[in-house]
Amino acid sequence: MRSVKRGLRSFIRHPLANLVVVLLLFVCLTLSLSMLAVKLAADGQVEEVKSSVGNYAELRVSSAYKMQLFSEQREQDPAKRQAEARKMSEEELLEERTNTLVPEEITDDFSLLPEIISFDKVLEAHVSLQDITGTELETMFSMRERAPGASATSSSGTFAFEGNTNGASASDFMLGNKVLVEGSFYTYQDYLDANPVVLVEKTLAEENGLSVGDTVTATVTGAEGRNSEMELTIKGIYETVEAEEGNAQDPQAFNPAGNKFFAPLSVVQELNGTAGYVELGYFYLDSADSSAAVQEAFQELVVEGLEGGDKYELATDYSDFESISDPLQKVSKTSTIGLAGALGACALIIILAMAIIVGGRTRELGVLKAIGATDRQVLIQYATEILCLCLVAIVLAAGASALISQRMGNWLLQGNAGNAAFVEQAESPGGTGAPPMMGIGAERLYKQGGRFSPGNRNQQSVELDVIYRGSMLVYGILILLGISLLGMTVPVIWIIRLRPARVLAME
Amino acid sequence: MRDLLEVKNASKSYRVKSGEVKAVDGVDLMARKGEVTVIVGPSGSGKTTLLYLIGSLERPDTGEINVFGENICRPNADLIQYRRKRVGFVFQMFNLISALTALENVVLPMDLEGISPAEQHRRAEELLQRMGIDHRLQKAKANRMSGGEKQRVAIARALANDPDVILADEPTGNLDSATGKVVVDILAGLARRDGKCVLIVTHDEGILQVADWAYQMRDGRLKGMEVRG
Repeated sequence: MRSVKRGLRSFIRHPLANLVVVLLLFVCLTLSLSMLAVKLAADGQVEEVKSSVGNYAELRVSSAYKMQLFSEQREQDPAKRQAEARKMSEEELLEERTNTLVPEEITDDFSLLPEIISFDKVLEAHVSLQDITGTELETMFSMRERAPGASATSSSGTFAFEGNTNGASASDFMLGNKVLVEGSFYTYQDYLDANPVVLVEKTLAEENGLSVGDTVTATVTGAEGRNSEMELTIKGIYETVEAEEGNAQDPQAFNPAGNKFFAPLSVVQELNGTAGYVELGYFYLDSADSSAAVQEAFQELVVEGLEGGDKYELATDYSDFESISDPLQKVSKTSTIGLAGALGACALIIILAMAIIVGGRTRELGVLKAIGATDRQVLIQYATEILCLCLVAIVLAAGASALISQRMGNWLLQGNAGNAAFVEQAESPGGTGAPPMMGIGAERLYKQGGRFSPGNRNQQSVELDVIYRGSMLVYGILILLGISLLGMTVPVIWIIRLRPARVLAME
Repeated sequence: MRDLLEVKNASKSYRVKSGEVKAVDGVDLMARKGEVTVIVGPSGSGKTTLLYLIGSLERPDTGEINVFGENICRPNADLIQYRRKRVGFVFQMFNLISALTALENVVLPMDLEGISPAEQHRRAEELLQRMGIDHRLQKAKANRMSGGEKQRVAIARALANDPDVILADEPTGNLDSATGKVVVDILAGLARRDGKCVLIVTHDEGILQVADWAYQMRDGRLKGMEVRG
């Protein structure tokens, strides 16, 4: 304790020399801490991205296979094809209908992989409903598709049905594009029991005087033209809340998907005549890091393990993770290099400073040893002085880096990302489209509820939020101890090697 | 033997570029409490090395040094305690710590020994007063003092832990003759009044006036001199 006090007094007694060292250390430590804060922020955000992007996969029929089928059909004479279709057996017809679908058991088996934490299955179908008139409002898509000058067409009679295993987890509801306003969602049990229940759009329900509990009749097209009917009970009514851009001020003026029904997957399969088949299975992985392992397992289990398995593909959003995280990872690398450089400079400064300080006080060391100071006492005294130097410098540097690290982070991100800071979603070759990018820290994650959103282009900037976390304190203390220990090596060597007789004899 | 400082056949060599130099060569020496022993000799004769051997700052290659019954050359000798409590050094260049005040310099050996701060201050003030360093000067930094003042502070520091032996290496080497005489008188007084064993090495033969015992050192060898009337 006395040695510590002597060290403190000694630190106060050498203000000028200490000031110079503190200033030099301050500059390097400010840079070190800023780089560290930026690195931690970048790494943290990469991890954040990992939990929301890059851990999503869709098992579906490959786009290449679909293209091949399409080309084959186009090459055939339509009249001949119709004639052949008429001659087809029930099994052959089913096979043709399910050519571009995935057997449910494949998705179920695949979902057993340990890396997969949740999954769902989706099937879309067009179903004829009796006594229901489709909403007159048309989608922006249909307006774009319509030829100039042509009149709007009503979709009355045929309606889009989307089926999955739980209404609440349908992507539109998860994304908040649609909100249930009345009744309730169909459940997983409804899917298991194939309960004929549906969710209907509010506008459509109002126009047709439908409410929860009412029924609508669907025509089920069976094999060889044998039609049957199915009574569907309205379990819930939903509202489309997200109007497309440009119509946001008046969502009621534009209804993008009024003619869409949601129903349990098993019901949609029955309505479509494709029991046991889905359009795709989508999976959430435990991390983006598992993407490669899951892709490998897919190759082994499905592509190579199943007969005709090569017609399936597993589309993941890992490339999106890479493109989103790339600027952040570059920032992390740059800041690591900067951190190493700044810490190296700190080390050099403290070693040189201590060499000068201790070297200049060799006689003092000799005197201390001559009057009976132990090496330990002298060392503690010098260690205290060094610790004070480093502590003052790091406290000042912590304050300064808190002020500049955000700017430094932005500057590094700008330098590393360039135009890549703006990540534009690209269409995937698969046709369903790559998932829309969400900015880091966005309120909603794009793929909650699953499915790559088709044709949805987004442009979001990647931002780096440099927040001082608790770990900064730990790292700050470690840096403080590190440079202090390094600085101490000089007096340690000096003290151990110093022979007071030699020093004192130098008159 | 309890009041006798005895050096028996001590030798110390140093390696230099040109070979080995025998700084102390088979020296025998005796000094007693209450007496001033002076070793005179030219520069490089080995007298400072001999002093450092006695002060345990150097270890002899051969021989034995007994300080009031304690052989400081034995392997397990507690040299730290010996330097703190048994000997006090006075150097030609004073060797005060320049960043400290006179009082703090005197306090330092007591602080290392673990004496309470109040006792340290009381003793340091007393010693400095005795050396003629007034209260104002006690608060002055060592580097602002004159040579004579510094040497008196250095003597006070040497006395801080009340050692039996005072080892003075050229104590007047950096002082004018009047100041040097004051310092020598103080050192002699420590032997006469306080019963300390004062050992002075110097090339200034004038100091022999206060010596009870004197030796001449040349080329590492010691030869007794007749000094007493």
